Amino acid sequence: MTFARCKFAFGLAVAPALLIAAPAAAHKLRQGGVAVPVAASTLTVTPSRDWNQLSGTIGKNTESWTLDGGQLNDVTFYGGIPAGKPLVKERNKKHQPLPKFTRETLLIEVPELLERTYRTYKELAAFRLLSTDPAPFLGTEGVIFRYEFTDKDELTRTGEARAAIVAGKLYMITFDAPRLNFYARSAADFHALADSARLQSLR
Amino acid sequence: MGLWRELDEDERVLTTSDLVIHDEALTAYVAKVLCDTVGADRCKATRVYIIREPAINASMAPNGTMRVFSGLLLRMRSEAELGAVLGHEFGHFERRHTLNHFKARRSGTDILAWASVLASISTSSSIQRSNQNIQLQVYGDLYRFGRNQEREADILGLSYLNQSRLRPQAASQVWQNQMAEIEASARVKGLSKPNFSTIAFTASHPPEAERAVYLADLAQPDAANRDDGAERYRAALMPWMPLFLADQIKLNDFGASEYVIQSLAQGGWSAQLWLARGELYRGRGNPRDLVLAAEFYTHALEMDAGLADAYRGLGLSRLKTGQRSEGLEALRKYLQLKPDASDASMIRMMLPKEVTSH
Repeated sequence: MTFARCKFAFGLAVAPALLIAAPAAAHKLRQGGVAVPVAASTLTVTPSRDWNQLSGTIGKNTESWTLDGGQLNDVTFYGGIPAGKPLVKERNKKHQPLPKFTRETLLIEVPELLERTYRTYKELAAFRLLSTDPAPFLGTEGVIFRYEFTDKDELTRTGEARAAIVAGKLYMITFDAPRLNFYARSAADFHALADSARLQSLR
Repeated sequence: MGLWRELDEDERVLTTSDLVIHDEALTAYVAKVLCDTVGADRCKATRVYIIREPAINASMAPNGTMRVFSGLLLRMRSEAELGAVLGHEFGHFERRHTLNHFKARRSGTDILAWASVLASISTSSSIQRSNQNIQLQVYGDLYRFGRNQEREADILGLSYLNQSRLRPQAASQVWQNQMAEIEASARVKGLSKPNFSTIAFTASHPPEAERAVYLADLAQPDAANRDDGAERYRAALMPWMPLFLADQIKLNDFGASEYVIQSLAQGGWSAQLWLARGELYRGRGNPRDLVLAAEFYTHALEMDAGLADAYRGLGLSRLKTGQRSEGLEALRKYLQLKPDASDASMIRMMLPKEVTSH
């Protein structure tokens, strides 16, 4: 998921100071052919080409990669979301709670969970699940689903995700990119990345 | 920066936006309600755009562009209620509140000039991104009205309604409903005090209770028997209601969604409403919710046995409460009714082999 429409509540007075400050953490290069654990978990991928790891994260169990920038292509890894937790960090636990992954969540309900999270987190209405199909992931029964949504930047993005529930935790990789040009351009790179995903403990 | 140039550019983007619902009949209907409220002469200058966004909001820019959010249309129950909100927004426009505010705040926008200079000499994308955020922030301030302006727009909006053929008492009702929904939302979230400023449309407005009272006082008493156009409103919105309702249900605001469903059900329960309620309860997913969800889906199917999605929800709810055979039976019905559903292959995989073979 991208940060496209994060609402920063900077006061006007502090804004210029923030402009001058250098960015705190730099992005990292993830080299092709080198296996790397992601999202502070046992989920490991071996990219087929170089990717950039974005410095910020949207949640404790997440990590985001991109080729050309988060708005143009965004791969987010969800590395073992435990039962009772939302997919991404809640901006405001009390006032804007996010839907939670639960012990009862069925694999077929994972697309709905992502949909409800996107809608709530990004405050959008234009989200459509295009397809949901079974597809093995991380060596077990999994789901592959495609979706489309229009963010507040009025750009329609296509997304594809693969997910599996292993030992009661949700593992998922999503790929979001503008429907026009960018999605098709990098879909093969994402597929190669998702196909390379393994859980270390299963090796 | 020229405000008019910005506004024209905004409208140009709007005409091709994927977020705008390009339904001529719906747009024309909303424009007609506006014209019925403020009068044909005044409304000539307005262009209406329906935006698919679940927020309860409407706004009018100084160049005559009126944005009406789908979340507002979902919550209004009559032409008179919709007219009350649109008339209020039109009141801001007629009194040139946005423009006056813009002039008053102009000095504040000098900061934008500095910000863009700093951003242009920087190569970092994150700095350029924060420049965009400052722009949003400054523009946000420009469009926020003061309480006195809100009151003025309220009174003007109500005087339009008084002069129209619609029932002006509806204006007070809008705010009473709004308060009740916010309270319902807060109650489910376990908040001791509802936060009325979380909703864009109420953020800078006078306290709802106060405005509900003065709007009721100002409404012409002899107009209380006028038609409020509830039937016409329901008919015009019918094709879009299932979508707008689904957009609300999936927002993870249980209290508000339940309130909206109950409020729509005052006009009679329909299969679509029961389905929405089932989806809402299954979405929250506590054990008791799942039992209730199954009940609601069953009500939906009693009213419309061809409602495939109700079978899907019923099946999944039953599976999760340990009623496996009933669950599978419902999923089978779902596939019979909707064999090419977007998740058909996934459902088929959940069914035992012997069933999927025929």
